Amino acid sequence: MAEVTAKARRGRGGGFLPFLLLLPAVGLMLALYAYPFVSSIYRSFLGSKGALSVANYAKVRELYWRDVFFSLEISVLSTALAALVSIALAAYLRLSTGWFARFIGAIYRFPIFIPFVVVAQMMRTFLAPHGLLNIFLAQIGLVNIDAPLELLNWKGLTFGFVWKQAPFMALIVLSGFEMVDDTFIEAARSVGARLPQVIVRILIPMSRASISVALILAFTSTVGTFTLPYMLIGGQVPTTVTVDIAHRVTYFGDYGVANALGTLSYLMVLALAIYYLRYTVRKGIYEYQEG
Amino acid sequence: MFRSRLLVKSGEALMLILLCFFIFGPISGLVLWSVALRWYWPHVLPQEVGLDYWLQALGLRKSLAIGAVSITDSFNTSLIIALIVVAVVMVIATPVGYVLAKYNIPLKGAVLLLFLMPQAFPQQPVFVNLLLTFNKWGLAGTVPGVMLVHLMVSLVFAVWISSAAFKSIPPELEEAARSVGASAMRTFLRVTLPLAAPGLLASAVFVFLTSLDEFTGTFFIGLPFVTTLPMLLYSSSGYNLQFASVIAIVLLVPSILFMVIIERFLKAEYIGGMGV
Repeated sequence: MAEVTAKARRGRGGGFLPFLLLLPAVGLMLALYAYPFVSSIYRSFLGSKGALSVANYAKVRELYWRDVFFSLEISVLSTALAALVSIALAAYLRLSTGWFARFIGAIYRFPIFIPFVVVAQMMRTFLAPHGLLNIFLAQIGLVNIDAPLELLNWKGLTFGFVWKQAPFMALIVLSGFEMVDDTFIEAARSVGARLPQVIVRILIPMSRASISVALILAFTSTVGTFTLPYMLIGGQVPTTVTVDIAHRVTYFGDYGVANALGTLSYLMVLALAIYYLRYTVRKGIYEYQEG
Repeated sequence: MFRSRLLVKSGEALMLILLCFFIFGPISGLVLWSVALRWYWPHVLPQEVGLDYWLQALGLRKSLAIGAVSITDSFNTSLIIALIVVAVVMVIATPVGYVLAKYNIPLKGAVLLLFLMPQAFPQQPVFVNLLLTFNKWGLAGTVPGVMLVHLMVSLVFAVWISSAAFKSIPPELEEAARSVGASAMRTFLRVTLPLAAPGLLASAVFVFLTSLDEFTGTFFIGLPFVTTLPMLLYSSSGYNLQFASVIAIVLLVPSILFMVIIERFLKAEYIGGMGV
């Protein structure tokens, strides 16, 4: 009897209490997130006299078009490289046992927890013309000591993003790979599948959901990251949209153009964001019904 | 057979070395710079090492010669902001996590959406427009303003982690307590809460680190009056490499401790929602 009432209470929604519990957090999110989010789009269409116009976008087209594409290129390149590294790493960790695999499994997560501001500082010293990487490469004879690699540009930025995002993606991809039952892998092996075939034909297709989530979260985070490009390449030409937004606000107090750039950065992730939100919201509702 | 095993093992060893270099190379640069007193190109290692910058940064010594200032003020600012943010976030996010895990409310999709949006879209434009609002309210450049931004940024994680913690508790346990006569409140306090405690602790630690490391929101809302540790790191990274490296390591230490904590308290399922 008590069990029945408990189930019924859970299913019904419990009356007024849940709404009271939600109220403070939802109110804060509406005020501090939803309102500024909507007004960033609205303000991007406000002209200097307060009337609706596309003047801000015209200015972006004129001054920052190269940077819009630079942001997109960097994000696509870093996410693609990080995806390759993370899938290889996750496949290795899924299929290997023993000492090496355990050690790698323990250390690869390290960068996930290091904040971007520290990553940026690290990369500045590591990748600088006289930095540790160049010193090391010169020592083993790969680089001429008087003409060090110039890495404080798109190359270093990509390296920094891959360094930070690949382990995070590997964590999500590995959780997908671990759901694939051993019997599938053993069956494939027993009919002669080699390692690359096991990865491409079994592991990847069966973990499509985790791989998509990893790709989407890494790409969105890369498009929106301000710290790393700001500290690593700053106002170089070209630079990222996030750096331009900061310049527009702090040097010119020009929120219109900053918001137009911001709205363009929403557009860059729009398709992926919608896919992710639909997938996760559905999963959230479905998981409840199941449990 | 033996030869192919050897090949696999040396392949693994090579991968391990490359991975170690990839991961620890950039980190070791920080450590070296934080103790380098003299390090001229093209020397492989610093010519002179010492803890001068560390002592100066931690406020244990005051010397004008090396031009480094103390980090203690920024450290205190960061710590106070992070502790208050953790307290407030835990109080308002834990109920949301509970409701999302245990109740089937109307408009649930909309609530989920609101707490997922910040992960799906770039946040910087939101900070920019928050700055306009905060200017009007007199919160720009103040510690409470920075706390509100950190609150918004970390609320999302706290909701998801605590929701996962509550979801992992089998409803049968709570129903058993109810069936032997425990009230709803007593069931929550004596059954649900203790079982969710490790997840909630992880949530609190995560919120603490999010606040401690937050850069972009603080950059727009807090500068130039609120100098948290990441802001100090940013402002010193241009002219004092050693001092910046010291701050970077100070920010790194909590993240390493966090690794140890999640190893001990958390199931793997939480981590997926975390590093995001």
